Amino acid sequence: MIVSAVVLAYVLSSIGFIGYLFWRKPVVMTVSRILFGVSVTLHFFLLVILAGQAGSLPVLSPAQAANMMIFLSSLVFAFFVYKRSTAVMGAFFLPVASFFLSVIAPSLQTGRGVSHAFSRIWYPLHTLTVISGEALFAVAFVVSAIYLIHDSIIRRGKIHTAVSSLPPLRMLDKILTVCLSLGFVAITAGMIFGGLWASSLGFEFNHLATKASAGAATWLAFAFCIHQRFAIGWAGRRTAMITIAGFILMILLFIVLNLMFPEAHGVRLTT
Amino acid sequence: MNRINCISINYRNAPVSIREKLQIFPRDLLDLMQRGSEIFALSTCNRTELYWMDIEEEEILGRMSELSGIEKEALMDAAEMIRGKEALGHLFKVSSGLDSLVIGETQILGQVKEAYREALEAKTTSIFLNKALHRAFRTAKRVRTETDIGKYPVSVASEAVELACHIFGDILDSTVLVIGAGDMASIAAQRLKERGAKNLLIMNRTHSAACRLAKELEGTPRPFEALQQELCRCDIVITSTGSPVPIITRTLMDEVMKQRRHSPLIIIDIAVPRDVDPAVEKCYNCYLYDIDALKTIVDRHLANRKEQADKALSIIAAEVELFEKWAHSLNAQDTIRDLFGLMDAYIDDEIRQSGLGNEDAAVMEQKMRTSMKRLVHRVVSFLKEHPSLANIEHTRRIFQLDANYQDRHKG
Repeated sequence: MIVSAVVLAYVLSSIGFIGYLFWRKPVVMTVSRILFGVSVTLHFFLLVILAGQAGSLPVLSPAQAANMMIFLSSLVFAFFVYKRSTAVMGAFFLPVASFFLSVIAPSLQTGRGVSHAFSRIWYPLHTLTVISGEALFAVAFVVSAIYLIHDSIIRRGKIHTAVSSLPPLRMLDKILTVCLSLGFVAITAGMIFGGLWASSLGFEFNHLATKASAGAATWLAFAFCIHQRFAIGWAGRRTAMITIAGFILMILLFIVLNLMFPEAHGVRLTT
Repeated sequence: MNRINCISINYRNAPVSIREKLQIFPRDLLDLMQRGSEIFALSTCNRTELYWMDIEEEEILGRMSELSGIEKEALMDAAEMIRGKEALGHLFKVSSGLDSLVIGETQILGQVKEAYREALEAKTTSIFLNKALHRAFRTAKRVRTETDIGKYPVSVASEAVELACHIFGDILDSTVLVIGAGDMASIAAQRLKERGAKNLLIMNRTHSAACRLAKELEGTPRPFEALQQELCRCDIVITSTGSPVPIITRTLMDEVMKQRRHSPLIIIDIAVPRDVDPAVEKCYNCYLYDIDALKTIVDRHLANRKEQADKALSIIAAEVELFEKWAHSLNAQDTIRDLFGLMDAYIDDEIRQSGLGNEDAAVMEQKMRTSMKRLVHRVVSFLKEHPSLANIEHTRRIFQLDANYQDRHKG
């Protein structure tokens, strides 16, 4: 029931923000913001319920991990949505979030009780930091898409079209840089916590190879973006394109690896 | 309403050789004023217009001919005569910028206001034209706020500012480099200054010309030799020199962009032949717009403004309608009828609220009617003896006889 309510609130909020993009009526923006607030609040309650059911942080399945990522991305986006100059970004983020949420919604429930391996402190730290990094990467992905759209509009001189209220490129570039930098720190911390968790269980590297490699690939994508951004000065379009490519790669790895290896690093999640 | 007339000599029907001779001010028309007459003169570079009431057309033409030294026949050929409701609609269109050379421009409203201020000082306008001009200002405001006519910039400098805002957020902290000190460059720089650009660098091959323009715009003159250095630190470049070959080449820009670590740069090239090599567009994070690109954008915006003008015309039609209603009510007979109507309404209200029986109510109604009639009779007699527009208007205002009274007097 609450899952459907969350999906519905996200969808309605998406419609509101897209509507604002074309109608520019302040009342549409106000309603959309309220709906967004309702979506995030309901989403939080859903996480609490799922945590209650699982008896741990609700990241025990790929669907739950994706759910947590969407929630964290929404929290980051709340900063933009309630700020006047960046509010329209909701029209780009929320449809993506709604789509992924509706896809994972049927698979959010898991069994009760957590295996001994996942009750250790390093595991929630590892998952939370990795998922936070991925959430920031998701935000960077949406910001990059907006950047490329706005850049193309400016180059064609069509700045008075429906999307002319998009945030300026310089602001988008700053947001992108902050998301990538924080995301990189989070993913790095997540990999360290993951290593500590694995060593506390006495795992050998070959147990972890597949998923750890995926994590390393994501980390490398972040590292490449940040290096090019700060060392070579690839501000703007190129960073945006690399971010989009990196995020798509991350999502593909996430889907493919979770289909091939449903158990986290070779360990059953639930008892 | 039918008493208002307009003679318009504008950019559409008169060459500049005629327009430049027709600078008319209210003080030049004072001796044409008679009892009840009103006149309003508007003179700008693109039009000279007179709006008047209760003055012979011949007298107006005679005075215009006298002031300009142009023959009456030549004036008649160049002039557009507009009468009644159309004249009022024309005033509203002019004030809203819909009759301007560049549709939707706002400068004209300031010029109409200034002309009105002069007319007030010279006391050449009264109730009718005062009301018409206040309506015109209100209409212009409605057109600007209720349509998107002002949304589309149609000057190169405004477009440059808009583009810069889409990249940098605003131009307050942006550094603008203006290359060239000719008319085009100077107008563009002036517009950027008006829109808030604080840091203006002016560069020209002849350094003294750069210094002169910099002084005029409170900018900083820079030697032409510092071109590469300045390109590295500015955000917006506007170039309009007479150079036969590009002064900003791809090789130069590659080096510049490397030095500025690919920080975004907008280059507006309004020179013909072009000052910037078209290949510069390929430089990473460099936004280049030449005169053709800008003309395409400006043409598109003009088309959008024309679309919006249709919406604005319906606002004007509605405002003319409202004014017409007000003007029609300005006669003694209607005002007296409305006064009696108001009296009846008061009496009916009182009787209804009193809760008296039929007989008592009839007595009370009779008494009230007699005393109210005695009161209203004084006003009616005065209006019949002095049916001037001013007296009628004051009566209607005092007794609030118009349903849209509040709305009308907002000005």
